Amino acid sequence: MLAFSIRRILVAIPTLLIVLTITFVLIRIAPGDPAEVRLGDYASKEAVEALRRQMGLDRSMWVQYLEALKGLVQADFGRSIINGRPISGDLKRALPYTIQLTLFGIMFGVLFGIPTGVYSALRRNTLTDYIGRTLSLGGLSIPSFYLGILLMLVFSIHIPLFPVVGGGDIHDLADNLYHLFLPGLTLGLVMTAYVTRMTRSSVLNTLNEDFIRTARAKGLSERKVIYKHLLRNALLSIVALIGVYSIILTGGSVMVEIVFSRPGLGRMMIGALKQRDYTTLQAVMIVFATFVVLINLIADLLYGLVDPRVRRK
Amino acid sequence: MQRLSRSRKLLRTFLRNRTSFIGACMSLTLIIIAIFSYWLAPYDPLKQNVYYRLTPPEMTHIFGTDEYGRDVFSRVLTGARTSLFVGIVSVAIGMIVGTMMGMVAGYAGGRQETAIMRFLDIMMSFPDEVFGVMVMIVLGPGMLNVIIVITILMIPRFARVCHAPTLGIKEMDHIVSAKAIGAGSGRIIIRHILPNIFGDVLVMTTLWLGTAIRLEASLSFLGVGVPPPTPTLGNMVRVGVDFLATGPWISLFAGLAILFAVFAFNLLGDGLRDITDPKLYAR
Amino acid sequence: MKTLRPALTIVILIGVLLCFGVQPTSAAKDNVLRIAFDAADITDLHPHFAHTTQDRGVVHLIFNGLVRYKTGDIGKFVPDLAESWEVSRDGLTWTFHLRKGVMVHPWKNNPGYELTSEDVVYSFTSAADKNKSAWAVEYAGMQFKAIDQYTVQVILEKPLSELLFLPKMADYAGGLIIPKKAVEDLGEGFKSHPVGTGPFVFKKYLPKEKAITVRNEKFYRGTPKLDGVEVFYMPDMSSRKFGLQSKELDVIEGPPSQPWVDEMRALRGVEVDVFGPGEAGVLYFNMAKKPFDDIRVRRAIAYALSRDEVVTTIGKAIADPVFSQIPQPQPGYLTRDEVLLRGKMDGKDYLYEVDRNKAKKLLSDAGFPKGLKTTVFMTERGEYAVPFQNIVAQLREAGIDVKVTVVDHPTYHHNIRADMNPIVEYNCWRPTADVRLTHFHHSDSIVKTGKKPVTNFMHLGEKDADGDGKVDSVDYQIEVARDLLDSGAQKAVWKETQFKLLDWCVSYPLFIKKFTFARRNNVQWGYDLTSTLILSPQINELTSIK
Repeated sequence: MLAFSIRRILVAIPTLLIVLTITFVLIRIAPGDPAEVRLGDYASKEAVEALRRQMGLDRSMWVQYLEALKGLVQADFGRSIINGRPISGDLKRALPYTIQLTLFGIMFGVLFGIPTGVYSALRRNTLTDYIGRTLSLGGLSIPSFYLGILLMLVFSIHIPLFPVVGGGDIHDLADNLYHLFLPGLTLGLVMTAYVTRMTRSSVLNTLNEDFIRTARAKGLSERKVIYKHLLRNALLSIVALIGVYSIILTGGSVMVEIVFSRPGLGRMMIGALKQRDYTTLQAVMIVFATFVVLINLIADLLYGLVDPRVRRK
Repeated sequence: MQRLSRSRKLLRTFLRNRTSFIGACMSLTLIIIAIFSYWLAPYDPLKQNVYYRLTPPEMTHIFGTDEYGRDVFSRVLTGARTSLFVGIVSVAIGMIVGTMMGMVAGYAGGRQETAIMRFLDIMMSFPDEVFGVMVMIVLGPGMLNVIIVITILMIPRFARVCHAPTLGIKEMDHIVSAKAIGAGSGRIIIRHILPNIFGDVLVMTTLWLGTAIRLEASLSFLGVGVPPPTPTLGNMVRVGVDFLATGPWISLFAGLAILFAVFAFNLLGDGLRDITDPKLYAR
Repeated sequence: MKTLRPALTIVILIGVLLCFGVQPTSAAKDNVLRIAFDAADITDLHPHFAHTTQDRGVVHLIFNGLVRYKTGDIGKFVPDLAESWEVSRDGLTWTFHLRKGVMVHPWKNNPGYELTSEDVVYSFTSAADKNKSAWAVEYAGMQFKAIDQYTVQVILEKPLSELLFLPKMADYAGGLIIPKKAVEDLGEGFKSHPVGTGPFVFKKYLPKEKAITVRNEKFYRGTPKLDGVEVFYMPDMSSRKFGLQSKELDVIEGPPSQPWVDEMRALRGVEVDVFGPGEAGVLYFNMAKKPFDDIRVRRAIAYALSRDEVVTTIGKAIADPVFSQIPQPQPGYLTRDEVLLRGKMDGKDYLYEVDRNKAKKLLSDAGFPKGLKTTVFMTERGEYAVPFQNIVAQLREAGIDVKVTVVDHPTYHHNIRADMNPIVEYNCWRPTADVRLTHFHHSDSIVKTGKKPVTNFMHLGEKDADGDGKVDSVDYQIEVARDLLDSGAQKAVWKETQFKLLDWCVSYPLFIKKFTFARRNNVQWGYDLTSTLILSPQINELTSIK
């Protein structure tokens, strides 16, 4: 078990390195210069050059790259080249909002998706099943930003219940939750669609298995059959897919953050891209990658724990 | 006794299965609309009439007019064509390249396989939208660049799907014997491996077509996709958001079209998967 | 299965109760003004660098100048940090007498101190330093001296008219006074923690969210009515709108768009301020790129366009057509009648009002009977893209096919300065006609290759504009006007210059679009908001919320 875990962790490191390198290269290829962004269209050429020197942009690419690497190793992200503030501070402020949203999305999805999936599978080919399948297919077909806009329209405009501004004060739990509801609902509904479908197909597959027939033959109550066997297998499939789902979730959370103006990682990333803030963008991408790597790691470990076959390999 | 050929049997199953049938109908409708959009559109989608802007749906403009007075219905039709075009081209190229990559990796094995698969793993660890935005900022907006980006995102998916079955198939007896007689790798891959995985690939193609369309919409919504005035469903929703109160029909219909397209292909893919997946089909 | 359903219901109920039951704490009824800008974040709060609307919005709460534009009316100057001033007979020495008792805001461990001439000299010296200011060029060749604690002298190399000089001393850009001790103490930190003398003191900045300022109790013009101002960064238009509706925000920045104005005005309790001076949108033709060196092609484009349509696209309540390169209300502009009349007198047409048949004929004469094709870079930014899309659609009607490559805003500005566009749309306001003429029409300012490149996209001064074989330039006129001390004479020369430019059709002036902000109707600015240079309504000691 330990060897397994260590192996998985070791694989994560080159991933982060490659993410950093790709980000580093891509953002510097992009046209547009951060100094020009800072000074605007009224500034003279000399002012731009002076600022570039100040930002450290006139050094060779290799020097800048080594500095980025050093930052990664020391977990010190340095300062934003656009506004000079330490990036870790900004990251610390933005991270909770993104984590909140993603966790809410996962929890909502699992909470509503699993029962719906089971329900749908057990009532296969009935009207309920068809409605469920159509809705869940719709849920993963609809673009998350469109769903967010629709929800905003209904719940913020016509029935002014929920705020649309920002993420709320992070220290005030009530305010936080109040601002979390609509974005969380948007992400949650999409997640529910994925989980429902997954659960349904997993349950259908398991229903066919011999051991279910055996269990039924043994005389176990329907409820016991469901809880002990179907659900456990369904959960296994979900854990296996947590890695994939978390990537989908992260992408979705970026869109939702933009639509609802939540001050999370997604908005930080888009802002850094638009302003050509090289250092901030590198930092955000690393955090995203770490996030995904971590979730994958946890999922793999969880799966290893639950499924003894994997451990022995 | 008549023996129906395998393909005709498949076709009949296909038509009988409700999911795939409806999905196929919807997708076909979409494709036909897209191809004939030029003739079906009642107005020139680019012609502006700013004195007649933001009028609600009515007889002369069934989806209303947008912020420049252009007919929304014509633009949705044209937009559907653009979005579909982008989706199909990206998925097609992604399918060809990705399938090749997956099969080669699976067949070659060893270090090449690990290298390719590792690299693809890393690619897939980026969320689509995040990676897409980054690359689009580098390349700049434009239809060609969107196609490039979505193609890049499709390749790992296809590669993954083709990789695993290849591992299984290459151990089969007739492959081993073919190798023994000295058949070239390329020949083996194309003549023996490809036909066996093609069914799966086809199913995934339809499913990922929906994903590609939704991805284009997301990129356009973030402002890095195909830019106006070329209508795509994504950039119409984006612009429409600014007019939600005075002209909600722009976003509403464009977004609905996206939903319809993605749903259609997902339905079709689902149906196809139902048919070709032996486990489920057996019931 | 049996327990799942009730369990689900309970969970849903709890979730709903949680969200309904909790009360938000932000939409409180306090005396703080909350304004939201269309921006993702601060760029730079150092007043000698801050150029974006959102940065200026914060900076102008915190800093003052020797002189200020009368609040809400940029046509007049009134005393501010300086109580009075005079100029020497030879026009080379300006003397300013500072107000006494102006207190610099407290910062870190310093309780604040009185602003004196030492600070003023320090501030201008810094503004003139190209490493410390984006507008250093405005103060080139000036010397600054502190005569005594409350007297400052500015010594020029060449005399400047009051019209051209005072804007450099005003509460704008390089003229904003930064306190020496605070800048030296904070160093790099100054640009994220600005310290000044204005009605509001900078308190805190929450990245990507808001900047918080509080009332300056010691403000020299009087204690501000507001307790403080919070500046929000919200790049999403719908979020701003919803924020205003839910009363979480008091003022929001709007796009220059008629539908938006209409939509806001229709909301209960909301009013919209449309104010100037606005930004003038001009189409510049790059004569270094064929076939735009041919005057017939340029005139064809001019005739293909209807100013009225472009203005309608933006919105009649927000934009007005302009007929000269210097837009109204800037001293030196030409009215439609002036342009029409002078054209008639010269036997020419300087208005180029829309006539697509004429356009097609001109194109045909120039060798393009089947129409013209060209490629152009355009920014994604709405205020440029919206009118430009209409321009492209109009040109299409005249057989001119413009293929647009959309890039992001920084790239657009980079590309046009790299001389990549055959036609450049540029929207801006410049403090004086001299600045505008110099930046856009002087040969030194030619992009890329000029002696001091700025924004002369036309390559005017280097090319033959009217086809007579001789290079055409307005350098002489610009330089002469700059040195005149009589404002009337300056205006006359500027007008003459513009008639020439119109004749050569080197650019096509289209519109001037005003700024749009929506506010809750209980917000009172405290003054008449007609025009302001900072692109957003000025919030000062007179502003209040009922």
